[in-house]
Amino acid sequence: MRLIVVKRVKTSNLYYVGIPVLSILAGLALSTLIFASIGVPPDLFISEILAGFQSPQTLRYFALLVILGVALTMSFRASIWNIGAEGQMIWGMLAGGYIALFVAAQSMYVSPSDLPNYANVPGVEIIDASPVKPVISVLLMDPSLGKLLMVLFGMLAGGLWALIPAVLKAYLDIDEVASTLILNYVAYQLFNHLVSYNLRGLSVQARQFFRTDRMNSALLFNLISGTSVTVQEVLMAVIFFVSVVLMYRYTAVGLRLKIIGSNPQLLRSVGVDERRYILLAMFLSGMLAGAAGVSILANPGIGKLEKIANVVSPPTMNLGYTAILVSWLSMLDLRFVPIYAYIVASLFQGSSLLQSEINSLFPELSLTGAALTYIPIGSILVVYVILRIFTEYSVRIMR
Amino acid sequence: MSTQTFFSLNEEKSLNPIISARGLWKSFPGVVALKDVSLDVLPGEIHAILGENGAGKSTLLKILYGIYVPDKGDLFFGGRKVVVTSPQDAVRNGLVLVSQVPQLIDSLTVAENLSLSLSQFGYVSSVRKVSKFLLEKGREYGVRVDPDIEVWKLSYTQKQLVEVLRALLLNAKVIAFDEATTLLPHAEKEKLYDFMKLFKSKGGSVLLVTHKIPEAVEVSDRITVLRRGEVVGTVRTSETTLDQVRYMMFGERLTQLNSGKYEKLGEKGSEVLVVRDLWVRSDYGVYAVKGVSFSVRKGEILGIAGVAGNGQLELIQALAGLRKSERGSIRLRINGNEIDVTNKGSTAIRRLGIGYIPDEPVKKGVSLDNSIEENIAVHPRLTRFLIRWGDVKSLATDLVREFSIVTPSTNTKAKVLSGGNLMKVLVARELTVSKVALVAYNPTRGLDEVSTRYVRRLIVSKAVSEGMCAVVASEDLDEIMEISDVIAVMNSGSFVGVFKSGVSREEVERVMVS
Repeated sequence: MRLIVVKRVKTSNLYYVGIPVLSILAGLALSTLIFASIGVPPDLFISEILAGFQSPQTLRYFALLVILGVALTMSFRASIWNIGAEGQMIWGMLAGGYIALFVAAQSMYVSPSDLPNYANVPGVEIIDASPVKPVISVLLMDPSLGKLLMVLFGMLAGGLWALIPAVLKAYLDIDEVASTLILNYVAYQLFNHLVSYNLRGLSVQARQFFRTDRMNSALLFNLISGTSVTVQEVLMAVIFFVSVVLMYRYTAVGLRLKIIGSNPQLLRSVGVDERRYILLAMFLSGMLAGAAGVSILANPGIGKLEKIANVVSPPTMNLGYTAILVSWLSMLDLRFVPIYAYIVASLFQGSSLLQSEINSLFPELSLTGAALTYIPIGSILVVYVILRIFTEYSVRIMR
Repeated sequence: MSTQTFFSLNEEKSLNPIISARGLWKSFPGVVALKDVSLDVLPGEIHAILGENGAGKSTLLKILYGIYVPDKGDLFFGGRKVVVTSPQDAVRNGLVLVSQVPQLIDSLTVAENLSLSLSQFGYVSSVRKVSKFLLEKGREYGVRVDPDIEVWKLSYTQKQLVEVLRALLLNAKVIAFDEATTLLPHAEKEKLYDFMKLFKSKGGSVLLVTHKIPEAVEVSDRITVLRRGEVVGTVRTSETTLDQVRYMMFGERLTQLNSGKYEKLGEKGSEVLVVRDLWVRSDYGVYAVKGVSFSVRKGEILGIAGVAGNGQLELIQALAGLRKSERGSIRLRINGNEIDVTNKGSTAIRRLGIGYIPDEPVKKGVSLDNSIEENIAVHPRLTRFLIRWGDVKSLATDLVREFSIVTPSTNTKAKVLSGGNLMKVLVARELTVSKVALVAYNPTRGLDEVSTRYVRRLIVSKAVSEGMCAVVASEDLDEIMEISDVIAVMNSGSFVGVFKSGVSREEVERVMVS
């Protein structure tokens, strides 16, 4: 008797759903064990993870992960492994922030004695009431137009940043996995430089720390009450999801983006320059990531750009990496992206709930930040990568 | 490693098959590729497996070689029941495959390549030892290949011979040729046939998988014919006739083969494609096409003959817009307008109504992970921005019927189809878009007799009835002779002879090699 591994001709439908679900369950079991081994009781772990599924805060990660999941799935289906959503989000934030702070509105010093005069002027907001050098923000355009420009420029910047590895891949055959990943750290450093110098604010806080001024609150996105998700975020997630699905289904561009992932030579042979489609896949992917970046910035809970003190906790919350999990669990099938975006968002939220619980109950463990959040996500990914083999191969017993 | 061991073995059990397959079944989604197939390969015979595209030849061979695992059925090697799940298993049991596409690394020398593949199969041997062995075996079998030459410098035939030497190096008892002789020019084929006969005389067996009846009849001792996944029968070559084999292979469809000459128009129209003083470089940067000029009239077929590698491929690619023309011009005259398409980009050229059948069609011309419909819809001439899937589906359905493509549906992924059916999908798509001209390189390579005739007939009839002009380069001189109105012979990048149809084959061949 012998166990043999046979390549499947057709991907099993059962495994299509079974593998991701099993990965999540086994990954959670694995992380329960990991937490237990460092002294976190399993029941606490489980209850916090479950709480994540019901937390209103989860919706925010859900919307962001749908946008990012669609972005990454688009490039992954074209066999372009965009690990650079982080950097593309950062550029989205920078461009959106530039529009918000310098184009759609402008910060300026006023004399302390004049300050009361500005209190009720429409379009003017006092952002620093310091008695020495008070700062106001003056709206320069209609705030809806301002928000639209923020999103558009954020998308453009994210897309252009993604074009760098795309050009390197299409014309110089440089591997995009390495280049997109490295460019994330380049983006973090450039972000720090721009925030510390070029975009740095006028207010006392901005001068004490390396950060921009607060955005004019008229330019912030609108929270859905009881949650931390904004209307605009949800709208973007819906619009992007639907239009990308339609693009794949009904347009030649979508079909070619799909075919480039399976046989780029076919495109060339029917007379289509496949290199342009590599650029397009990355540009679209980067654009959506840029939009996600803008919506993080414009969330009323944020509203400013701050120097990244530690690269493990950038303002993107590492969602650009987390979205890789969403895309993979969906087996690169767009229809599943919202489902797994919700599950991963819940785990993400559950982990942060768990983190604050652990910090208050077991301060002696002194566990911090990303490490904790990523134990469940990482465990699931590991299990998934192992189980994924079974969608492509089946194991049979031969006698 | 010597051939001595199996001399004695053969004498002992000369009647026992060296490879025996019993009741093999294999299905792919929507297609049963093999139905209860049994096969015996005897020691010291050349056994041909004959069948048209999609008959199950490749599937059978892939099972013997451990690439596929059968759904049902047993394999016996040397009378012992075995489970073969990888080529390594097959090689250990004495079966080595020589495929149509040489599995060699271009930048390494012959000896380095072979040393590498030995280690892949679990043998360890130094490059020096391999070189020595190569020279020995080469003398023994009359196969001369320099062990220290880099593989990219070899011709296709020489690469095939290296593959054969690898089989000897791996101590093969049975060498399987998977359509390995299909692409060879006739004179070169003889070299391989001689080798097969010599190998047989030394006690080895050969499994010759082919869709060419003459080849099977010429060299084999026995022939097993497959049709639609079933064994039609196994016959002794000496006791059969060509017609009998043809009937076994095609059954009732045989009549389609015997329907005479192609209808040709005497009078051709005005010039459609005009090429002047074209210079094109090869991948290595040297000029492969050196100042070629010609024109093709409406409804005319220009056949380009020549020994492979004399610039035909580069010329065809330049016409399709896939290779830069360094000098000269390519012009199209469509409806009285003259359009200069020199270096105009392939999308623009294709949209004007130029079809293109590339070399290595299955690798370059279809996408296996996509459906037949998607493989059709991808063409820029057939779909603009929005895809009307209803139209694509009805076009695909028509083409499947017209070309008798064997597939469960038009929505089936291309990877399920056999090589010949894939080729039909490609040819069908390109003929559909060839409103003005067709540019093709080996348009029937890998197709069986019925499909080949069918494709040639289509090209000719499209030229006659719709006035399409065609430039067809082919390594198969018979093909060129059969369909061309004008035959140009290409040698070292230039046209060295241009003939009207009706010229004798000898005349063309003489110019080809001079």
